[in-house]
Amino acid sequence: MWLPWNRIIVALLLAFLFTIPASALRVKENYLFYCAPCHGLDGRGEGPNATPTQPVTPRNHRNPKEMEKLSDEDIINVIRFGGRATGISTLMPPYRNTLTEEEILELKDYLRELCQCSGPR
Amino acid sequence: MSGVIKTVSLAVSVLLCVFLLSVPGASGGMAAEGRRVFVERGCGECHTTERPLRRPTFEEFLTEKGPPLWYAGSKFRKGWLKEWLTSPEPVRPMAYNSLKERNPDNHPALGSKEAEAVAEYLATLKVEGLKRGVVRPEKNVRGRIIFEKKLGCYGCHLVRKGRRIVGGLSGPSLVGAGRRLEPDWIYAFLKDKNLFVPYTSMPVYVGIITDREMRILSGYVASME
Ligand code: HEC
Ligand code: HEC
Ligand code: HEC
Repeated sequence: MWLPWNRIIVALLLAFLFTIPASALRVKENYLFYCAPCHGLDGRGEGPNATPTQPVTPRNHRNPKEMEKLSDEDIINVIRFGGRATGISTLMPPYRNTLTEEEILELKDYLRELCQCSGPR
Repeated sequence: MSGVIKTVSLAVSVLLCVFLLSVPGASGGMAAEGRRVFVERGCGECHTTERPLRRPTFEEFLTEKGPPLWYAGSKFRKGWLKEWLTSPEPVRPMAYNSLKERNPDNHPALGSKEAEAVAEYLATLKVEGLKRGVVRPEKNVRGRIIFEKKLGCYGCHLVRKGRRIVGGLSGPSLVGAGRRLEPDWIYAFLKDKNLFVPYTSMPVYVGIITDREMRILSGYVASME
């Protein structure tokens, strides 16, 4: 029996793509664009801005020991208001006027995926 | 009758003056020559000299090969342009739009005559409506505190600190920014970055510091050696 295989394959591919939520693509793009310059493309804190002349090193987002000390609220606040908000270095910039609230919440979830950890209860 | 002749001859001489003034003078001719060099040397392959009609998509933006120059006349000091075009030292420590590769340090250089003409041409590329005379370069303590302590701008920018050069590498170096950048452009850029670059990883500081602080900060950056 003749079937339009190429069309079926395209349709299946499209269906697959649409099952990935748009925000999953967006949050990774945001992380790589905004956070990776310091925290590194892989999140280990080794981006090009982590030079030996800097006073502190960016947090390693893949280190559960460090990241589980932070509550979800802490993470959201430090992204919103920068290092000043959680009493760490102001090298960590404030993003409240750069990213939307939704994008900040997505980044919090993304950081939890990177560290495979949750905050203190 | 003689009144009419007088009026006519006056009108003719006024017209003649207007005509003579509108003929491109020495610098106009130089700018035209610079434009010719710019086209001939293929500078347009990596640089835009006209304001884009629409915002590129993020993917399109990532394929751009060099910084836009359509506002070069508002951004750069003319003397710096000429000098840099003859011996282009890296400004961005990293390759354009890359977090992995270092700046290859291979920008095409021009001879001093060509550089002068191209600088003259680039100086004609101005942003409409950019307010002038708002920011004065000033090595002020308040600006330094905002830059270093309050906002940590050196996180992504190299700066001179005493004898050392310190800071991050993802943004253009601000060492010698005072010689390179127009003070009013720095303020305009901090106020509305997307007017100049469609996407940037530099955070938005509008609303995080006051407008007055932003002017002080711009004056401080404009004084950097
Ligand atoms: C200019 C460099 C820089 C950029 C860009 C940056 N960070 Fe940071 N970040 C830092 C530094 C440095 C620290 C650690 C500061 C310290 O230990 O005092 C940090 C710490 C953090 C922490 C730990 C906070 C805490 O209280 O321990 C989180 C979470 C974080 N960053 C998230 C992000 C996210 C998300 C982004 C992107 C939206 C981002 N950072 C972009 C430099 C940066
Ligand atoms: C292959 C791409 C390429 C070509 C061709 C090229 N440029 Fe560039 N240009 C760049 C890049 C990349 C930078 C950023 C260099 C840096 O930061 O050190 C740059 C920077 C500049 C700057 C400084 C802009 C800024 O924002 O710092 C000027 C001015 C300039 N180029 C003019 C020219 C002229 C004139 C020509 C032709 C003779 C030319 N370029 C050809 C890629 C190119
Ligand atoms: C997260 C990194 C980051 C931080 C923090 C940052 N910048 Fe930037 N900055 C950049 C990048 C990247 C560019 C280049 C613009 C572009 O093309 O995206 C830039 C461009 C600039 C420019 C224009 C330079 C040029 O040659 O085009 C100035 C001036 C500037 N920044 C000043 C500041 C000041 C002042 C602060 C602190 C309030 C600051 N920056 C904080 C990343 C940063």
